[in-house]
Amino acid sequence: MSISEKSVAIINASAPLSNANAKDSLDVALIFGSYEQAISLYFQGDGVYQLIAEQQPERIQQKDFLKTLAALEFYDIENIYVCHHSLNQRGLAEKFSIENVQVLNQDDFATSLHHHQTILRF
Amino acid sequence: MKSIAFVITSPPNSNLTATAINMVTTALTMKIAVVGVFFYQDGVLNGSQHLALPNDEYQAHQQWQLLHHKYNLPLHLCATAAEKRGLSDDINDNQATNVHEAFTLSGLGELVELNVKADRLIQL
Repeated sequence: MSISEKSVAIINASAPLSNANAKDSLDVALIFGSYEQAISLYFQGDGVYQLIAEQQPERIQQKDFLKTLAALEFYDIENIYVCHHSLNQRGLAEKFSIENVQVLNQDDFATSLHHHQTILRF
Repeated sequence: MKSIAFVITSPPNSNLTATAINMVTTALTMKIAVVGVFFYQDGVLNGSQHLALPNDEYQAHQQWQLLHHKYNLPLHLCATAAEKRGLSDDINDNQATNVHEAFTLSGLGELVELNVKADRLIQL
């Protein structure tokens, strides 16, 4: 399989623990990363909660898959974008569980998304 | 556009699945190569052998089977997502299956391959 010139964007729009979207999305991101595909992650809407530190998934019988976010950099997944408007709406500070997160306003968020040939949404 | 691939994350009873089937069918009729369909999350339920939708409702699973047989369309079920939902080709370690024969159990790597092969990847 040749290395694709296409780049993939994954939009994360679900809260981390109300369903399996966040976990399923992370699995897809890591697979694309391990195949050395260009991939960027976008967090928008309730998806911004996925990046908040010190969550306690075990209190609702969930495995702490959020700690796997720290592995993204080892898969060379370095383009991680968060929607500023979504943070604002939820009263969340720009303080995240991982580093290298870029906060973008809505226009830049949309423009940045447009640079990708494949968009998946969870 | 020369080729296209699909990711289906919607279950068989979703209207999005019907839309996906319409899109796949139209692409094939227009001679656009559909390199494959990857079923993920609740989408894997489309591959169950035991779906029994009411007679007067849209038979999404039968449409997938038809597309597979008519056009040799590859239908990949994410194996992990399938097992989470009780779908397996090795029930009780005796190779009994409840996955329809038109579908193949695959790893997530298959999704990466489809994305590389196709000019466009569409999720429904």
